[in-house]
Amino acid sequence: MVLVFLLLRASGDPTVLLRSPNMTEEQVVLLQHNLGLDRSYPEQFWIFIKDLAHGNLGASLLKPQTVSEMIGVALPNTLKLGIPSFFISMLLAFLLGVLAATQRDTIWDNGVKFLAVLGQALPGFWVAIMAMLIFYQNLGWLPAGGMATPAHYVLPVATEVFFLMPGMMRLVRSTMLDVLDSEYIKLARIKGLPERIVILKHALRNALITPLTTLGMLFAMIIGGAVVVEQIFNWPGMGRLAIEATYARDYPVVQAIVLVVSVIVLGVNLLVDITYAYVDPQIRYQKT
Amino acid sequence: MSNAITNLRIKPAQKISGLSRGARILRNLTFIVPMTVMVILVLTAIFAPLLAPYDPTEGNMLERRARPVFMEGGSTKHLLGTDHLGRDILSRLIYGGRVSLSVSLLVIFITAAVGSTLGITAGYLGGRIEGFIMRVTDVALSFPGLLLAILLAVGIGPGFWTVVIALSMLGWAGYSRMIRGEALRLRDSDFVAQARIIGSSPLRIMIKHIFPNVVNSLVVIMTLAVGLMILAESTLSYLGIGIPAPISSWGSMVADGRNDLDRAWWISFFPGVAIGLVVLSGNFLGDWIRDKMDPRLRRL
Repeated sequence: MVLVFLLLRASGDPTVLLRSPNMTEEQVVLLQHNLGLDRSYPEQFWIFIKDLAHGNLGASLLKPQTVSEMIGVALPNTLKLGIPSFFISMLLAFLLGVLAATQRDTIWDNGVKFLAVLGQALPGFWVAIMAMLIFYQNLGWLPAGGMATPAHYVLPVATEVFFLMPGMMRLVRSTMLDVLDSEYIKLARIKGLPERIVILKHALRNALITPLTTLGMLFAMIIGGAVVVEQIFNWPGMGRLAIEATYARDYPVVQAIVLVVSVIVLGVNLLVDITYAYVDPQIRYQKT
Repeated sequence: MSNAITNLRIKPAQKISGLSRGARILRNLTFIVPMTVMVILVLTAIFAPLLAPYDPTEGNMLERRARPVFMEGGSTKHLLGTDHLGRDILSRLIYGGRVSLSVSLLVIFITAAVGSTLGITAGYLGGRIEGFIMRVTDVALSFPGLLLAILLAVGIGPGFWTVVIALSMLGWAGYSRMIRGEALRLRDSDFVAQARIIGSSPLRIMIKHIFPNVVNSLVVIMTLAVGLMILAESTLSYLGIGIPAPISSWGSMVADGRNDLDRAWWISFFPGVAIGLVVLSGNFLGDWIRDKMDPRLRRL
């Protein structure tokens, strides 16, 4: 938090951007005073902390809105994009990962590997732009920007899925292969259980654990992805807000976004840890 | 990874003869092709002024959005066409490679140094120090790096060093987590115990005994990071918080073509292909080196 504050103050005087050419020197000083920029840094920091404790994230320097209002609008939009992307990615990653592991060295497996390699190498922003070129510019099937209709969701979500899924898919595949290698799976097979039950009941449950631990990291990726995808598809969410505020040096906004996102990331990680303990009884935290 | 007994459907013959001939050729190809791409990248980056046909930052307004040579109306004057300011795309690509390469190499060395120091310290000393370092590592691993980069860009303005710092600030965490695991394993080995018995200081043990034994893993992670870093750098410069114009970098070149998609798709297309190709090669090369040096790491 201190880091956030210091970095932003170091960025230079935002009044440079605010003042109009015919403003007198007095008016500039007045402006600085109104924005609280004429106080010392420790004082500004103290005010920031005090406001925070009151749940007040401050006001935008450039727009007549409080930061809380801006985030209140942007956050749901980001979630509307992030949540479907997350679930679709997870679903596909598990489906394809398990498929590849159980059909090892077949065309399915190779297809999945190919997709994974591609997804990890191609830059997300470029894929988004090319998708826009093909489906909007050339074919005209899907709209490119905005969020008016369900059709507007297709391209952004698809791009986000494209770069969330591959890593997870690879992980699911390799854990699944490890699990299929283990003694208890052999035993289950020797018992004569049908393959479907071996895979679904014995293997998959155990293969869930390792990918789950990386969910926290996946969430960080969603945020990173949101910045890029929202910017390209003109999606009025947190990512675009952050980028716009960055260009405009509207630092209360950037500050608040980083803060809010950090809190969410921490919360999600805590949740992941709890789920982890729930799924795998071996690492359940000991009651002392 | 698996053996014949575990996957009941694998034919035994396949296992005994090892890899088939086709597979072996394929395996060598996965080394030769990426290596070639990397060598070309390094060479073009070094000799950019000699190789580039035009100045990458100077455009000719009369030749705006010229088509690449293979399209109708394209000419050999600009092999990959020109952008919205009439700058030659091939030249800009060649110079852009310099940026990507230098940023990623610098970041990789910084993060590897910091990460392995912290990892060895945490793994060998243990206790509170380990707890603290690993806690910070976890935070760094799960923090969205892009946001930090945005913050830095607002803080110290976009530029070469902003990108380097932004990528380094979180990048070390992967190393420290990996290396800690290695150090933990080495701590209990006989030769370390012996060093301790003859009275070597912890610092000396860490430098002389632990470090040489983690170098293999370190090299593997560093190679695998090349692709990641190039991807990250291009994302930052795409968003405009990387190397400022007019210096060309692959990410900003993609951004340049965004408004010209309908009339000049090639402006965005080629830099993206360059990024994809290089990252792909980096990843394959990393996999290859990992298999050679340290097969235990295969699962990562």
